[in-house]
Amino acid sequence: MSVLARSVGNAFRNKVRTAAVVAVLAVAIGLALAMLVANQAVGAKVQELNASVGTVLTVNPAGGQGFEGGGEPLTSEQAATAAGVPNVTAVVGTKALRLRNAAEAAAQAAAGQTGGPGGGQGGPGGQSTTTLTTSLTAAVDAGSLGNRNQAGDGTTGSTGATQPARTLPITATGIGAEVDSTGKALELMEGTGLGDYAADSAKALLGTTLAEKNNLKVGSTFTINSKTFTVAGLFDAGTTFGNNALYVTLPAAQTLAELPGELSTMIVTVNSMENVDSTKTALQSALGTDKADVTQGQRNLETAVSSLDSVKNISLVAFIAALGTAGLIILLIMVMLVRERRREIGVLKAIGAPNRTIGLQFVLEALVLVALGSVVGAAIASFASGSIASALVSSSTGTTTATAGQRGPGLAGAAGGFPGGVPGQGGPFGGASQLLTSVTASASPGVIAAGIAAVFGVAIIGALVPALLTARIRPIEVLRGE
Amino acid sequence: MIEVKNLVRAFKSGDRTIKPVNDVSFELEQGTLASIVGKSGSGKSTLLSLLGALDKPTSGDVVVNGVSLAGMPDGKLTEYRRRDIGFVFQQFNLIPNLSALDNVMLPMEFAGIRKSARSQRARELLEQVQLDPDKHVRRINRLSGGEQQRVAIARALANEPKLILADEPTGNLDEQTGEHIIELLSSLSRDHNTTILVVTHDRSLANKTDRRFRLQQGKLTEEPARNRPAVPAAV
Repeated sequence: MSVLARSVGNAFRNKVRTAAVVAVLAVAIGLALAMLVANQAVGAKVQELNASVGTVLTVNPAGGQGFEGGGEPLTSEQAATAAGVPNVTAVVGTKALRLRNAAEAAAQAAAGQTGGPGGGQGGPGGQSTTTLTTSLTAAVDAGSLGNRNQAGDGTTGSTGATQPARTLPITATGIGAEVDSTGKALELMEGTGLGDYAADSAKALLGTTLAEKNNLKVGSTFTINSKTFTVAGLFDAGTTFGNNALYVTLPAAQTLAELPGELSTMIVTVNSMENVDSTKTALQSALGTDKADVTQGQRNLETAVSSLDSVKNISLVAFIAALGTAGLIILLIMVMLVRERRREIGVLKAIGAPNRTIGLQFVLEALVLVALGSVVGAAIASFASGSIASALVSSSTGTTTATAGQRGPGLAGAAGGFPGGVPGQGGPFGGASQLLTSVTASASPGVIAAGIAAVFGVAIIGALVPALLTARIRPIEVLRGE
Repeated sequence: MIEVKNLVRAFKSGDRTIKPVNDVSFELEQGTLASIVGKSGSGKSTLLSLLGALDKPTSGDVVVNGVSLAGMPDGKLTEYRRRDIGFVFQQFNLIPNLSALDNVMLPMEFAGIRKSARSQRARELLEQVQLDPDKHVRRINRLSGGEQQRVAIARALANEPKLILADEPTGNLDEQTGEHIIELLSSLSRDHNTTILVVTHDRSLANKTDRRFRLQQGKLTEEPARNRPAVPAAV
């Protein structure tokens, strides 16, 4: 009979005790594995959030945002100033235009609907936007919200029974690089980009639903004011509002608006997350607080990420604590067994067993118990890890989620409503609370295997101490009681 | 040859010092079958533990084939017990959750003998001590006292030791099996040149040994064996 076979036999010597030890170990190991799974899941979510938000700062004119507010427009000179701020890696200027279908605009003008305050169809405020006509028809019906938002008095519910049905405008954005107005790369479904974004070209990228509504494909043409543009590509912004939009090069938009050098926003990319705060301060200082508002798109998510980081740290500490507990259980059990079997150890020594053989026998016996505990623990972890991760996240991020929720819907509304800013802006902001609660912890074989390897490592350490104790037992113990 | 020189084992008990083995000296030629008799608590088991290197003497020395055990490191003492000594304990001291066969194979496993060889030898030894073959694979705790004693004797013979130390080897055996074990031990000492030292209360067994010793209050004296006159143990 080999040492291993003897160890296995010894592990099952007292079946009731073995079952009790395995049960206790399984709880500790299961908790350790569940914490590891939660840690991995939260870590992955943090990475996902960081990747989704990036390191982008948005600069708007002081007192204005999108088609709202007032103040002075941004300029190309300010873009150059922003580019000179330390840690800034890129500055992309945008110029937002509001397009009206030419035929509908003429009909509404004839019906006398253009005299509303704040610029009528131009919407209230609109400090840096320009309303132009186009051959395109908006892909989104006005509906109740559109009619209400476009009402002449700018208040709710005043649609007027005699007024003809309204249509939504189309947002055209001039961009200095192939990114959307939040700084994320455009996801082109067909065609190519605009090529040289610094050139006043006649190419445009259309949202998929806008192209479909107007039966346009790559290579088709349409007009803005009297200028003909060719569809170079189709993009998918992921939202209905976002896809009712088009992009042209920044110089083309500035030419259409007859406002050369004027910018609606600047998208500033910082070299790392750690430098975002300091760069924001430096950028605000360089541009002047009375000239520009610098906003950090990920502020809410950063708080959320920080909260998730806390969960990650808590789960790591809990994993280590549970691992330590498993090791301690093994240590105590094996010390108890060594004390209980002093005489038997004496017998083995009396008949010539070397210390290392006896020690190995006890280590292997401990590992047999740990193996059984790991099997049950892995089963516990696979069932419980999801609930534990959710409980950890919800308890730790409850306050943060509430905070994000207060601001999130407002921003989402700004993007989704008619007078709002630019397409896609609401995505990563308004979805913060959903992102937080969507942490999915699944016990992958790799994570479980890594956790069990760690458990075995700790168990070996825990079993070595009692195994070394066996070396101190003298063979004369065999005569104890004789 | 075993030489025991002025062997003392002392224990502290409060203010008193107890010496179950007190200045014991004797020699045994290789192949001798010897016995030690004495009352309970006279120090017989303590003397056996010193000879078998289970315990270390307070003073004195045991020299086996010219090699002194005094000052020998623990690893060497373990090797000495594995290679040169076979123990038969009064309470058998078998491993309860192993079979009779596994118990006999244990010393051979520690000596590095291949599994097939040790299994074959273990079966032969169990047959020599007259344990039924169907009980070879039975767990120790399912064997009677006498059967366990025979397994203990078989285990002591496993590595063909030069010295067998047996504490009441026939104590739990019926008369017939006891006789057989005595014959077995005699033939081992005679045919295999094995030195055997037996602690016993059994007069008939003691009378069949080549030399008889009596241990009384830690002092060892040799009794006349068969036709030999009584002489002091220390020569």
